[in-house]
Amino acid sequence: MSQPPSLLSNMMRIAGWIGLSVLLVAIFLSDFLAHAPAGAIMSGAELNPPSPAHPFGTDVLGRDILSETLHGLAQTGRHAIWAAAVAIVMGGLFGAVATRLPRPLALLLRGLFRVLSAIPALLLTVVLVGLFGHNFVALAAGLAAAPLGFIRAFDHVDLRAPHTEYARATGIPGLTLLKRDLTYDFRHILGSVIARALAAVTIILSTASFLGFGAQPPARDLGLIIAAAKASYLSAWWTAFFPGLALVFFVLCARLAAGLEEGERA
Amino acid sequence: MMDSGLLLEMTGISLTRGSKTLLDRISFSLAAGEKLIVLGEAGSGKDALLRVLGGFTDRSDAVSGTIRYAGSPPVAAGGRNKPSLRFAYLPNPLAQPLVPHASVAKQLTRVVARKLRAPFGSAREELRLALERLPGAVTLPLLDTKPERLDPVTIAIGLLASVSAQTPDLVLADQPFADLGPGAIKMLLEALHAEQQRLGFGLVYATGGLQPAARLGGRILVLKAGKVVEEGSAERLMSGQAHAYTRRLFEALPRLSNEPAKPRGAMRGQPLLQIHNLAFGNDERNHRDSLTFELRRGAALALVGEPGSGRRDLLRLMLGFDSAPPGRVLFDAVDLNVLSQTMAARIRRRIAFITGRDDTLDPRMTICDTVEEPLRAHLNLTGELVAGYRDAALKRVGLASHDGRLRVAALSAFDKRRLQVARAIVGAPLLVVVDEPLKGLDGFAQAILREVLIDFRTTQGTAFLVVTADLTIAQALAETAMVFDAGKLVERGSIAHLVHAPKQDATKALIDAATLTSLSSETGSV
Repeated sequence: MSQPPSLLSNMMRIAGWIGLSVLLVAIFLSDFLAHAPAGAIMSGAELNPPSPAHPFGTDVLGRDILSETLHGLAQTGRHAIWAAAVAIVMGGLFGAVATRLPRPLALLLRGLFRVLSAIPALLLTVVLVGLFGHNFVALAAGLAAAPLGFIRAFDHVDLRAPHTEYARATGIPGLTLLKRDLTYDFRHILGSVIARALAAVTIILSTASFLGFGAQPPARDLGLIIAAAKASYLSAWWTAFFPGLALVFFVLCARLAAGLEEGERA
Repeated sequence: MMDSGLLLEMTGISLTRGSKTLLDRISFSLAAGEKLIVLGEAGSGKDALLRVLGGFTDRSDAVSGTIRYAGSPPVAAGGRNKPSLRFAYLPNPLAQPLVPHASVAKQLTRVVARKLRAPFGSAREELRLALERLPGAVTLPLLDTKPERLDPVTIAIGLLASVSAQTPDLVLADQPFADLGPGAIKMLLEALHAEQQRLGFGLVYATGGLQPAARLGGRILVLKAGKVVEEGSAERLMSGQAHAYTRRLFEALPRLSNEPAKPRGAMRGQPLLQIHNLAFGNDERNHRDSLTFELRRGAALALVGEPGSGRRDLLRLMLGFDSAPPGRVLFDAVDLNVLSQTMAARIRRRIAFITGRDDTLDPRMTICDTVEEPLRAHLNLTGELVAGYRDAALKRVGLASHDGRLRVAALSAFDKRRLQVARAIVGAPLLVVVDEPLKGLDGFAQAILREVLIDFRTTQGTAFLVVTADLTIAQALAETAMVFDAGKLVERGSIAHLVHAPKQDATKALIDAATLTSLSSETGSV
């Protein structure tokens, strides 16, 4: 039986959700909060260190890094929300439904998803992007994160529990029993599932973009911004530091909100 | 000074845990060879009293008062001082008092060896001799296996033998035989009584059931909310002289009626459950019995027998829990085994279950959702109507005052049992399967649930299929019965006739187990 969460872990979760809320506001107000439009170049302001005019400094092309970080955060965040939705529906929800399929088919699906979950999610994303193109990176990241969610949901549902057996014996339909699982189990863990999925897909999306398999210029993405700073970050630390900090903050808040332990897989 | 012959004397014992008072200034004494039955419903404080006596209170418990053991000065209750008496503890085998990975015989021998401070070999011999004295033909080699491979009655005999082999001064029995079946309970109580007579130990027997109190006799301490409501001999408390609370309890004690059954009009209804040549039995395939019977609308049939007699196997076959058996099972003139799952589900909605298992309700659901689910799943009713039916059902079972948002997991066994009845009521079933409904409940809750079930049957005229080892509940809820023994049907007929003129030993044993006879009056008062 799982232990009830301690006061500290509850506080960490709350802190995580507050952080995610702040980031969500920043994502949707990014155009309003940013000093400059995405990709706007200021000639003569190349590689300026942080200053009152440019709190995060400027990059090698003279772009305001605060504005770029906000635009990148918005792009990464929107993709992450879509990808998390795909991961939850194709993973958790499908896993809960799949347990109701005829037993051999359900076990076959579980085996298939088990194999998929053993493949690194980033590798799976790269393969899917290769198949469907860069525009489908959010879908690819969501599908790549889904197998783990599928396995967790599949194993969580106990169709042989006595209360399920007795409900069936009194003619309670399978759909009602599925509704029970979704209502009582997933309602309580939905917040945790969303945060867990956000943490997983944000890392996948940013890494894919960093490696050139995700968002493509002129789109802004945190992974892409960090990748663009590869040539300058040794001499101008701020070019990679602030976008990197935003990414770390996003993932950290999602992990805290999900209640994940140190080193635990999202 | 403590009187000579007194074993222990408890004075002003109080126990509080947090803000809750579990025991409130309890005082009593116990003489050597005396029996003290601590009778109380769940939460009455009987468990707390045993914990104080046994010296295994929790760290968070605040205990006050003194205990004085024979030959010792008074000591503060709740302390870790070892008494000069030799204690033995008799737990209930269903509470899993033994570790699962070691042999029962080894565990019991280890206890005996530690208590007698004797070598392992000597303790084993003592245990073997104790087992020989007890009924049930349980031997030491039989106990040389893990607890999960033994039935609870065998383990109970082993535990009793272990207590006897310890030659204790005082035995603390914590509902040791509850839920083991009336026949087994009677046999074990007789064995405990005989050992107590032989060894002369003091016995403190905590129970929520009335049968042990009525059978063992001795002195009874009635507890309610941590306080002693009444104390006196079993004979006095069972007479009309007792305190109103105690009197009401004993009046509710079920007794087997010898009167002929009144004919019921409902018996003439259309057949509801028809069983044709159902192969049944736990023998080899070619030795299986072939069973044919029918249950009419509004009628009630009891499948009676000790646990393991085969009645539940038959029930599972009839209701399709297990794979389709040879033979035909018709419910409302439809063979459930030839229907698709969807069609079978439509028929099955007219069947309800009320069982002695607490895991048949989804622990995640709330009280309201549990009762509403059959209505929402099968009928297209407005929310207002659903709430009306729900509230009416909850009121009938006495759960109306509970917060409907409470989860099933947070309810007591008694509340869960009543919730099962409420769920059955709203479904307006044609057949209610009642499977050991009183199991695990104290005598107080049993009396109320019995009334609730009788009211359900009387007012709705639903057919009842009752699975029980207790002939009194069978008689209260059904007119006819089939008696099972060792996986076979041994006798059938109207319950009144079976009780009046039983033919088979199994039926006689069930009647004997349901007939309350004081062991003290049989063998002389202790």
